[in-house]
Amino acid sequence: MGIPTVTLTRSDFVGVMKNAVSGVGLAPDAAMVTFPVNMFMPGSDISAVEARKKEFYDGLTKWKSNFVRPGAAAKMLEVEGKSYEDALTKANNLLLTSLWGDGLPVWPATKERVDWILQGSVLPRTHVLGKFPPRGGVTTVEIVAIALAMAGGRPEYLPVLIAAVEACLAAEGFDQLQATSGGPFPAVIVNGPIAKQIRINSGFGLLGPDPQRPAGASIGRALRMLQQNVGGALPGVGTMAIFGSMRYTNAVFAEDEEGLPKGWQTHAQQRHGFEPGTNSVSVVFASGATNVRRRGAKKESPEEDALNGMWRMADFLRAPNLAALAGWEKGTPGIMMIAPIVARRMAEVGWTQKSIRDFLWENSRIPMSQMKRAGAPAWIEIDHNPVTRDSISLDPWPICQKPDNIVLVVAGGGHPTHSYWLQAHSPTVEGRVIRVPETFERLLTDADRDLGCGDDVCRI
Amino acid sequence: MTRLEFYDPSGILEVSVPFAKRLDSLEGKKIGFVSNEQWQAYRMLPVLKELLEKDFGKIEVLPIDAFPQGNGLIGNDETAALVKKSGVDAVIVGNAA
Repeated sequence: MGIPTVTLTRSDFVGVMKNAVSGVGLAPDAAMVTFPVNMFMPGSDISAVEARKKEFYDGLTKWKSNFVRPGAAAKMLEVEGKSYEDALTKANNLLLTSLWGDGLPVWPATKERVDWILQGSVLPRTHVLGKFPPRGGVTTVEIVAIALAMAGGRPEYLPVLIAAVEACLAAEGFDQLQATSGGPFPAVIVNGPIAKQIRINSGFGLLGPDPQRPAGASIGRALRMLQQNVGGALPGVGTMAIFGSMRYTNAVFAEDEEGLPKGWQTHAQQRHGFEPGTNSVSVVFASGATNVRRRGAKKESPEEDALNGMWRMADFLRAPNLAALAGWEKGTPGIMMIAPIVARRMAEVGWTQKSIRDFLWENSRIPMSQMKRAGAPAWIEIDHNPVTRDSISLDPWPICQKPDNIVLVVAGGGHPTHSYWLQAHSPTVEGRVIRVPETFERLLTDADRDLGCGDDVCRI
Repeated sequence: MTRLEFYDPSGILEVSVPFAKRLDSLEGKKIGFVSNEQWQAYRMLPVLKELLEKDFGKIEVLPIDAFPQGNGLIGNDETAALVKKSGVDAVIVGNAA
């Protein structure tokens, strides 16, 4: 705007501020007057504002940026060791001390490894996908491949990672999601044949490690590295995520399309209109994960078992998750995962995807008296979205504008006891089609050679 | 010795916008506040307003709520346009916490 500014900020918020300004094209620097966190709490002593008034005045009249402009190309780093193991250790130490690691061992992104990974891209390595907020690092296909190389990835994973990055960069408020104290993490739902082809889990233990289906871990870890290294979301510096759950690998999983009851649509078709068989990602920003024991314990009929389970799921949803206000109109309050065997049994007694959503929406409404008891209306009143603000007149208050906001995915192991609720802080749910290179079949053949037989064949 | 050469994973930054030139002095200038109305901004920013008015002659300091307030509003284009249109010479932003 060409108008000088000075910002009153918290001492440990400086990294967030630097990211914010570099994200809009300024140098990562700004005139700031910083104070300890205690001063920002209710009832605090604010006399330091007056004591340090000159710093505010100087910020508007004398401040100068100390930023030194970097080079235009990605730098190469170099280590030497007495042996390969020694060099690898030094490389890992250098990455950690440079604040580019995650605490787990990484593969240094050598030119050879990055070139190999890039075989999975339909785009040139210099193609710019966007700027990764809030820091605004230029996000080329090459830098995405570098992250995937470090995360132990393979070329056939790259198309999914690129689509997930594109979805994140397009997400409304992604800069704030990266920095906010609630610590939302991308949950990437993969649809289409590519999930099985590259070994993304849709079954038992799909949110955790699985040596038979390792792709989700590498893709999610690479996405997290991009968020941190290119986007600047370094804990306590660039992201104020107080707890930061699921942030080693985010959550990357597939819907069990083969497990969908007859007549049910895939998540990608329901939410984004993608035809069945289309390879796609759908990104929700989740902020927590909760197991819901839904199965009955005694002699329930199939109808009772389904209905009781639905009530228990709705009861978990009926909570004033104020972070979900961000997605009240267009986003989602969360992802409800239902195991395929549960989906089939429920379909047999008449439940549909629509009736499940309708039930969850209707029965998760919160009486306004309970909202007031929790001080929740104040957060609704200050929401930036007028549609969300207007929702304060609804009693009982619905956790989202309409049932379709709730993401319903059929996934999980073949066992009927639990459902899973990933509550969200997700202004939008972004979908992207995954593009694979012409050489994709060869990459899959190489994977079979390197990793052994694929998916079901390997089951013990 | 074994040498390992690998990429810096942080990517590059493009600096495309220069910082605004600082003012020679605050005397006689018009100052605005952009507030998210959180983190005790409602207490601290009025203190700064009073101090500015006391310390500088002929300074004009706009009310704290002259521009839209709140995290969701202070960073958008509409607010930026209002700030620009107001003719302020400088802005104090708070509270980033």
